[in-house]
Amino acid sequence: MSDPALRIRGLRKAFPKVVAVDGVDLEVARGEVFGLLGPNGAGKTTTLEIIEGLTEADGGDIEILGLTWAKQGQEIRARIGVQLQSTSLFNKITPRESLDLYGSYYPKRRSTEDLLDLVQLQEKADAYHITLSGGQQQRLALALALVNDPELVFLDEPTTGLDPQARRSLWDVVRRMKSEGRTVMLTTHYMDEAEALCDRLAIMDHGKVIATGTPASLIAELAIPSVVELTFDGAAPDPAAFSARLDQPVECRADLWEIPTPDPKALLPRLLEAAEAAAVPFQQVHIRRATLEDVFLHRTGRSLRE
Amino acid sequence: MMLWRQFVMEWRLYSRDRVAMFWTFAFPVILLMGFGTIFRDGGGPKLSLVRVQAPVPSARDTALDQALTDLQLKVQTLPKAEAEARWARGETAAQLETEGTGYRLRLNSYLMAQAGATAGLVNQAWLVAQARLNGEPEPQRIPIQVESPGHKHSTNYASFLLPGLLGLNLVSMGLFSVGMVNVSYREKGKFRRLAVTPLPKWIFLLGQVLHRLTVTVIQAGILLLVGRLAFGIQNQGSFLDLLLIMTLGTGCFMAFGFALSGFAETSEGYAAISNLVFFPLMMLSGVYFTLDSAPAWLQHAVAVMPLAPFLRALRAVFNDGGTLAGHGVGLAIVAAWGCAAFALAVRRFRWA
Repeated sequence: MSDPALRIRGLRKAFPKVVAVDGVDLEVARGEVFGLLGPNGAGKTTTLEIIEGLTEADGGDIEILGLTWAKQGQEIRARIGVQLQSTSLFNKITPRESLDLYGSYYPKRRSTEDLLDLVQLQEKADAYHITLSGGQQQRLALALALVNDPELVFLDEPTTGLDPQARRSLWDVVRRMKSEGRTVMLTTHYMDEAEALCDRLAIMDHGKVIATGTPASLIAELAIPSVVELTFDGAAPDPAAFSARLDQPVECRADLWEIPTPDPKALLPRLLEAAEAAAVPFQQVHIRRATLEDVFLHRTGRSLRE
Repeated sequence: MMLWRQFVMEWRLYSRDRVAMFWTFAFPVILLMGFGTIFRDGGGPKLSLVRVQAPVPSARDTALDQALTDLQLKVQTLPKAEAEARWARGETAAQLETEGTGYRLRLNSYLMAQAGATAGLVNQAWLVAQARLNGEPEPQRIPIQVESPGHKHSTNYASFLLPGLLGLNLVSMGLFSVGMVNVSYREKGKFRRLAVTPLPKWIFLLGQVLHRLTVTVIQAGILLLVGRLAFGIQNQGSFLDLLLIMTLGTGCFMAFGFALSGFAETSEGYAAISNLVFFPLMMLSGVYFTLDSAPAWLQHAVAVMPLAPFLRALRAVFNDGGTLAGHGVGLAIVAAWGCAAFALAVRRFRWA
C-alpha cells in the first residue's frame, strides 16, 4: 500500500474558448485530505471531473488507486465515491430510497441506516427530495458518495451555498471520513475550509497548480506572516498618501486597509502615530496571522473572491 | 437484481407523478370514447354523390336519379349555387350535373379513392337508367360493396380505431416521451450522478424499457376493457399474439427514442429531431396514402420502414383474428429496426 491514492501527470484539457486544465501534476497520499483551492474558473472542477471519469482529458496520465480508466474503469467506479458540485436527483425520491438504489449499484455497500445516521438525515429519511433544504440535500449527496464504502472520496465544493452551521456539520462528516481511513480530495474556494480540513493543498489558478503544500507550510513560505488591518466605518479612503508617509505598502479592500508585515510589534506604534498625524478616520485595529487568502494574493496579485 | 431494482424505481417515480400517469392512461380512452361515439352508426362509410339539381328534370334525369338510389349511392341533391360552393370548399368527392344532352361528372382529385368508386357506380347507374328508358332488360352488373378490412367482424368504427390507438400510443411513447425524458434528465444533470457509479448503461436503459412496456400493457388492457364495455369490441386473435406484437413494437419504438435522445443536447433540440423522424415514419408508412406512384427506390425504402408492418400485423390479429405466422417478414423488419436502434442507443447514450 505504498502506492499513492492518486497520481496525475501532465493533465490537460482545452475547451473551445479556454484551456481549463493546463498541465497539472498532483499526488495524493492514502489517508490524507487533499484540497484543490482556487477561485471560480481556476479549473478545479474540470480536473476533478477528469479524475472521476466524467470528462475525457486531452492529455496526461491518471492513476487512481493504482488503476487506470482505460483498463479498469468499472473497478475504479466501484472503489471511489463522488459528490458532484450539484447533485440533481429525482424530485420524488426519498433519501432512504436514493441510498438503497445507489447502494444496489455497488458490489460492496454500507447500510442505509448507518449512512442516514452519519449525515444526520434520519428524520428526513422518508421525505421527498424536493422538500429537503439545501444543507440536507448536500448531506444526502455526501452520504451517496459514501454508499459503497469507498477508499477514495471526491467532493466538489461540498459547502458552497450553505449557511455556517450547515458547513460546520459537513466539515465534521469530512473529518469522520478521514478518521475512517479514507482518502478525500475536495475542491473549495473557501480558504478557511481548506485550512480547517486539508492536510495538504494545491492552489490552482488559470488551469495551473501554482503552489502545493500543507496549509501551514504555504503560509510560512510567505515572508510576511502577519497582517495589520485598519477598519473603517464605510468605504476605506485611498491609502496612497498614507502608504508613502508610512513607507510601507498598504492594500485597500472595501472597508479596510491591509498592511502586511513580518513584525507587527514594531510596525504598530509607527502605524498609530502616522494615522494620528494624518487624521485617518479608522474605527479599529486588528492584527491577524496571514492566511491562505494572503498566499493566493501574494502569488497571483488577485484575491480569491474576485 | 440490479435490473429489477431499476425497474421498481422507475415505477415508483412514475406512480408518484399522478398527473402524467392519469393522462397516459386516460387520454387514449377519451380518444376512443370520443371518436367511437361520433362515428357510432357505422355500417361502413357510404359512397356519396352530389347531384346538381337540373332546372327542368327530364325523364332521363329522373330515371338516372332513380337508378343511382337503387345502387345504394348516397345522393345529395343541391341547387347549382350551393353545389358549386360545396365543391369549392373541397367537401365534395364527386359531383354529377346535367349538361345539355349529356352529363358532366366531376371528381375531386384529393379524394380519388372515394370519387373513383363513386364514378364506377354512376356509370353503372347510367347503363341501368338507359336500359330502363329503352324498355330493355337491365344490364347485369357486379355489385360493389364498400368495406374496411378491419370491419370483417364488426361494423363499428371504434373497432377499427382501437388497434390504431394502441399502435399510436406506443409510437408516441417511444419517440416522444421516452426520448424527451432522457434528454431533459441529461440536461438537468440527473444522469451525471449515475455516470460515476458502476451501473451499466444497458441495465439503466433496459429498466426503462421494461417499465414502459408494462405501462403499455396496462394501457392496452384498459383500452381493450373500455372498447369491450362501451362498444362490444372483441379481440379476434389470441391475446398472446397481441402481447407479443405490442412488446415488439414498444421495444422497437422506445429504442428509437433512446437512440434519438443521444443526438440532442436540449429538450428543444429533441422536439425537432423526433418530429423529423416521426413524420416521415408516419407519412411513408402507407397508413395515410398509398405510394403506388412514388419512384421505385422510395417504394423499396417504404417497404422496410417499421411502422406499416407493425400496424398491419396488429390489425390482422386484433380485427381479423389472424396469427403471427403470416407476418414473419414484417415482424422481422420491426425487430431488426429495434435491435439496430438499441445498439445505436447504447453507443450514443451519454450520461452527461
